[in-house]
Amino acid sequence: MDANDNIILEVKDLKQYFPIHTGFLQRAVGYVRAVDGVSLFIRENEVLGLVGESGCGKTTTGRTILRLYDPTAGEIWYRKGNGERVEISRFSQKEMKPLRREMRMIFQDPFSSLNPRLTVKDIIGEPLAIHGVARGKAMEDRVAELMRAVGLDPAYMRRYPHEFSGGQRQRIGLARTLSLSPRLIVADEPVSALDVSIQAQVLNLLQQLQERLGLTLLFIAHDLSVVEHVSDRIAVMYVGKIVEMAETEEVLRHPLHPYAEALISAVPPADPDIRLDRIVLEGEVASPVHPPAGCIFHPRCRYAENVCSQEEPQLIEAEPDHYVSCHFAAELSLQGIVG
Amino acid sequence: MNEKGLTGNAVAGVLEEKEQHESYFQLVWQRFKKSKPAIIGGLMIIMLAILAAFSDFFSPTDPLQLDLPASFTPPQRVHFVDSEGKFHLRPFTYLQVVELDPTTYAPQWTEDESQRYPLKFFVKSWEWKLLGLIPTRWHLFGVEEGGTVYLLGSDKFGRDLWSRACRAGRISMTLSLFATFISVSVGSVLGVVSGYYGGWIDTVLQRFVEFVQSFPQLPLWMALAAVIPRTWDSLRIFVIMAIIFALLSWTVLAREVRGKVMAFRETDFILAAKEMGASDLRIIFRHLYPNSLSHIIVILTLTIPQIILTEAFLSFLGIGIQPPLTSWGLLMHDAQNLQTLGTHPWIMSPVVFIIIAVLGFNFLGDGLRDAADPYSIV
Repeated sequence: MDANDNIILEVKDLKQYFPIHTGFLQRAVGYVRAVDGVSLFIRENEVLGLVGESGCGKTTTGRTILRLYDPTAGEIWYRKGNGERVEISRFSQKEMKPLRREMRMIFQDPFSSLNPRLTVKDIIGEPLAIHGVARGKAMEDRVAELMRAVGLDPAYMRRYPHEFSGGQRQRIGLARTLSLSPRLIVADEPVSALDVSIQAQVLNLLQQLQERLGLTLLFIAHDLSVVEHVSDRIAVMYVGKIVEMAETEEVLRHPLHPYAEALISAVPPADPDIRLDRIVLEGEVASPVHPPAGCIFHPRCRYAENVCSQEEPQLIEAEPDHYVSCHFAAELSLQGIVG
Repeated sequence: MNEKGLTGNAVAGVLEEKEQHESYFQLVWQRFKKSKPAIIGGLMIIMLAILAAFSDFFSPTDPLQLDLPASFTPPQRVHFVDSEGKFHLRPFTYLQVVELDPTTYAPQWTEDESQRYPLKFFVKSWEWKLLGLIPTRWHLFGVEEGGTVYLLGSDKFGRDLWSRACRAGRISMTLSLFATFISVSVGSVLGVVSGYYGGWIDTVLQRFVEFVQSFPQLPLWMALAAVIPRTWDSLRIFVIMAIIFALLSWTVLAREVRGKVMAFRETDFILAAKEMGASDLRIIFRHLYPNSLSHIIVILTLTIPQIILTEAFLSFLGIGIQPPLTSWGLLMHDAQNLQTLGTHPWIMSPVVFIIIAVLGFNFLGDGLRDAADPYSIV
């Protein structure tokens, strides 16, 4: 992970705890460790897929990286367009503002993420207005250009969001995200709220735009089959931690973490003749309020040994560009994707 | 570009305009139109507003003119058929004459059927000023000099109750509008701030709201109204009264707006605005306020009747509006006395105006509540 590695974003041991308030005086009685020591990096122009089951902290990770929350601990290094590296985890909102032009987000729910009282023009043009980039006719031209780029007719500029379908709304959201020509986009499950038939359209559009505009994407999803389609590399997350991170093919064919293995075994193969023994994980997902000691995955891991419940494994580069946090990464021989 | 292309574009442009510019208020109006009670409520309010604004035009006699012999005249009947059974196209009134009952000395009003005064429309009589500026003598109706037309009877000093009730609407309605305006401005701003910022700001504001709400309203109103110096001029009393009414009614609105804003604060479009780098002011006024507006408008139409009632109540007790200003409540001030009420029940007639106003605003508010959120079913 050295600086000349073209890394645009590097997150080191990021923690985001949310206090649980109770009682009349609203004292904090505990913390939800939504993100508990996430480390990852993204190279320029690549798509990093962040996968994990619901509630494991993927969305929180994405939002904390964009500083929509104030992180509890950790570092977020971002390399600006001029090559300067800045650590933004302690930036004030004022200091963040210029960076918000470069770092943007795509939201999961195309219905709640657009203000119902604004026209499409105002929605897509809002970032332009906030950053004083364009106004009046210039803004209208830019909005029309963006609408064409995401496959919408600019004639619909004066309509309200409720007049559009889910897929079209997600395109509006996409146009809004692209309006300031960002470099890094956190895409928070951008297709999971859409119909399967629309998912492919939006995914393809996203991929085309990524290639054409040279975007860097942190693509969050709970569905491995969606992520494998778009990602160059995959990071697997489990209860607030990254357990494995490597190139897509590498993770799928040759996983090093038992959780990744289980996740991959759940992907249905394209060939219906292939019978596979799906790994069904026992027990419940660990609670982020009271995470288990040692390796967080050990209560459900079928390879677990004594050391797993005592010592917490660190995310190490087990093989070149293949990061994993498991005590037995070198010993285990795990099943990848079949076929 | 050739000419054909230009016209084609122009036509497309026109079609586009027609089809797309359905603003929020147009959508609200479309749904509002469908609600019959709301339309009726709106018409009731408009009718009262016109009666109040141009009260002098609708008044056959000067509402300030004293006429002691005509004290407590009962409502006069408007006839079409005279004592001989002859039908007249033009309605008329008879002269009212009073006699004292020889035993009880109670005044007995009878109609002198020999003196007929036809009711005329668009007549010239006492002078008034249109909008307080343009002097004019035109009135909607009236009778010839010598006759009287007391539609709702007269009060203790012989002043026409109909004319006075129309004029009292000015104070009753503007006072409640003004008080509601203050109440809504204070309540919505504090509600939005409290809901949006949360944390200790929210705690402090909400405890303050509870503190204000825990006052016993009636004694506080009475005390506040009682300390207004009687020597102040009418305008100052008017403003102070409005502030007093607003003082205790903003809390409900602040609470409701806070709840609404708290719900919106967690939605993705607010998060999206933050993610763009929008300032708090922008988020509040461009995103939170417009989305809470429907709610605020509804509460506004429901606060007005409340304040009309409170004002009527306080004025009825004699601690609200003071003469020479008049309000509907003040007109009924004399009705406190059971004896007066028994012998001259018509002095309660301004209560009809109050009922119409309160019902009208409530119907209007109900209709608006349904119409204000046009996106809910679309």
